[in-house]
Amino acid sequence: MARKKFAEDGKALLFTLPAMVPLTLFWFFPLGYVVYLSFVEWDFMSPTKLFVGFDNYRGLFSDPAFYQSLRVSILFCLGSVLPIIAVGLALAMLLTRKMPGGALYRTLIFSPWVTPTVAVSIVWSWIYEPEVGLANSALNAIGLDGIRWLEDPNWALVGILLVTIWKSAGWSMIFYLVAIRNVPTDLMEAAGLDGAGSWRKFVHVTLPLISPTTFFLFIVQMVQALQAYDQINVLTQGGPAGSTRTLLYLYYQSAFDSFQIGQASAVAITLIIGCVLLSVFSAIVGRNAVHYS
Amino acid sequence: MQAWRNLGATVQYLIVAAVAVLMAFPFYWMATSALKTNDEIWQFPPTFWPHEPLWHNFREAWVAAPFAQYMFNSIFVAATIVLIQVFNSGMMAYALTHMKFRLKGIFAAAILIGYMIPSTAVYLPGYVILGKLQLLDSYAGLILSNCVSVFSIFLIRQAFLQISHEMIEAGRIDGASHSRILWTILLPLTRSSFAVLALITFIEQYNNYFWPMLITKDPNLQLVSAGLRSFFVEGGAYGLKWPLIMAASAFTIAPLLVLFVLTQKTIIRSVNLTAGSSKG
Repeated sequence: MARKKFAEDGKALLFTLPAMVPLTLFWFFPLGYVVYLSFVEWDFMSPTKLFVGFDNYRGLFSDPAFYQSLRVSILFCLGSVLPIIAVGLALAMLLTRKMPGGALYRTLIFSPWVTPTVAVSIVWSWIYEPEVGLANSALNAIGLDGIRWLEDPNWALVGILLVTIWKSAGWSMIFYLVAIRNVPTDLMEAAGLDGAGSWRKFVHVTLPLISPTTFFLFIVQMVQALQAYDQINVLTQGGPAGSTRTLLYLYYQSAFDSFQIGQASAVAITLIIGCVLLSVFSAIVGRNAVHYS
Repeated sequence: MQAWRNLGATVQYLIVAAVAVLMAFPFYWMATSALKTNDEIWQFPPTFWPHEPLWHNFREAWVAAPFAQYMFNSIFVAATIVLIQVFNSGMMAYALTHMKFRLKGIFAAAILIGYMIPSTAVYLPGYVILGKLQLLDSYAGLILSNCVSVFSIFLIRQAFLQISHEMIEAGRIDGASHSRILWTILLPLTRSSFAVLALITFIEQYNNYFWPMLITKDPNLQLVSAGLRSFFVEGGAYGLKWPLIMAASAFTIAPLLVLFVLTQKTIIRSVNLTAGSSKG
C-alpha cells in the first residue's frame, strides 16, 4: 500500500517537472539570488563579491535619484492606471448598446493592445515630432502652441502616459463589456421601476456589480505599470533630466549601464516589496470591499 | 421623448465612431507616412495622403536591415515557446487538479507567489544565471528562459477544475494512463482555454523586447522589436529616414494585426477566462 502511494507520488512529480524545473531555475532561484546580491558589492566582472550588509539599501535611501524615480513610478502608476480604467469603462458603457458598426469599432479600439510596444512607440515618436508631427499640427490647428513632447521635462511623462493609455484602454474596455453584459437585467428593470434614471442606475446598480472587474483591472494594470519599460526605452530612455526614469528604469540603468549590481538588486527588492504589498492590500480590499455576487 | 432618445443615441454613436477612428489613426498615420518621400514627410501642414505613394519604400526598408531574420527569430521563438507551454502547463495543471501527491500544497503556493512577483525584477539575477548556464546569445536561452508561464498554468488549471472528477475516475477504471486522459480527454474538452494560451503567449513573445534584448548581443538572434529599435537608432539615423522607419514599423505590426483580425473571437474570449482565473 505504502509502495503504491509512493508510486503515485512519483508519477505526479513527473507531471510537475516540465514546469517546475524551469520555474525553479529562472524564477525562484533568481528571486533568492537577487536578495543575496542586494547585500554585496559587485560589478559583473570581478571574481569576488564583497559582502556589505545593508550598505546598498542605505546608499539607495539616501540617494535623491531613488526618490525622484519613486515619484516618477507613482505618477506613472496613477497616471496610467486610473485613465485606463475610466476610459475603458466609459467606452464599454457607450458600446454596450447595439449600434451599426459596433463590432468594427470594438475591434479598432482594442487593436493597439495586440501590437508590439516598441513598434507603436516608434510610431508615436514620429507623431510627437516637434516641428511637423501630428500632435503639434493638431494643436496648431486649434490655435495652441506646439509642445516639445519628449524633450520637455514637464511633458515627457505625459507623452509616455498617452501612449500607455492608448495601448491599454481597449483592453480594459473588453473586460468591462463582459462585466456589464453579466449585470442581471431584472435588477436594472427593478431600479427603473423604482424611478431611477440612467445615471443613478449606473452608480447604484452597475458600478457595484462590476466592482470585481474594476478591482482586477486595477491590480493587473498597477503591476504592469510598475514594470513598464519598452515605451520609456524607445521614447525617452528615462530622460529628460530623469523626468521619466521609473524605479524599474533606474534598476536597469544601475545594473547594465553602471554595473552596480548590489545597488541595482536593492532597487529590485524595493520593487518586489512594492508588488507584494500591493497583493496583500488587494487581498484585504478584495475580501472586504468588493462585491462578488 | 422619442426624439430625445434618438438624439441621445446619435450623439452616442458619433462619440464611439470618433473615438474608434482616433484610436486607429496612429496606424493610418504610420502607413501613409511610410509611403511619403523624405521631402513630403517634412512638409507643414502634413498631408493626409501622399501625392505619389512610394510603395517601394517597403521593399527598401525590408532590405535595409535583416528584417527577414528578425521576423523569423520572433516567430520561431514564439511558436516554440507556445508548444512547450501547452505541454508543461497542461501537465502541471493536471497534477494540481487531478492527482494527489505530497508537496502539492507547496507547489500550488509557489505558483501563487510566482504570480505576484514582477518578472522584470528578476531580470538581473536571471541574466547572471543564464550566463553561468552558457545560454546567453542562443536560441536555447531565448526559449528556455521563457518556456514556463505562471499565467498559462493558472489558465489551464482553471479550465481543468471545471471538468468533473467522475469522468477522470471512469477513465482510470478503464485503464487509461494519466497522460492518455490528459491529452485525449481533457485537452479536447478544454481546447478553447488552450487556444487562448497559445494566442496570448504567441503575441506576448513575438512582442517581447526587454528580456530578449538583455540576453542576446548577436544581431542575428535579435527578435523583431529589438531589430526594429536598432534600425530606428542606427540604420534610420534617428529620424532622418522617417518614411523607412514607418515602413519597417508597419511590417513589424502587420502580422499581429492580421492574426488579431483572424482570431478576434478567441482573444476576446480570453477576457472571460482571465477574469475568471483571477477569482480562483
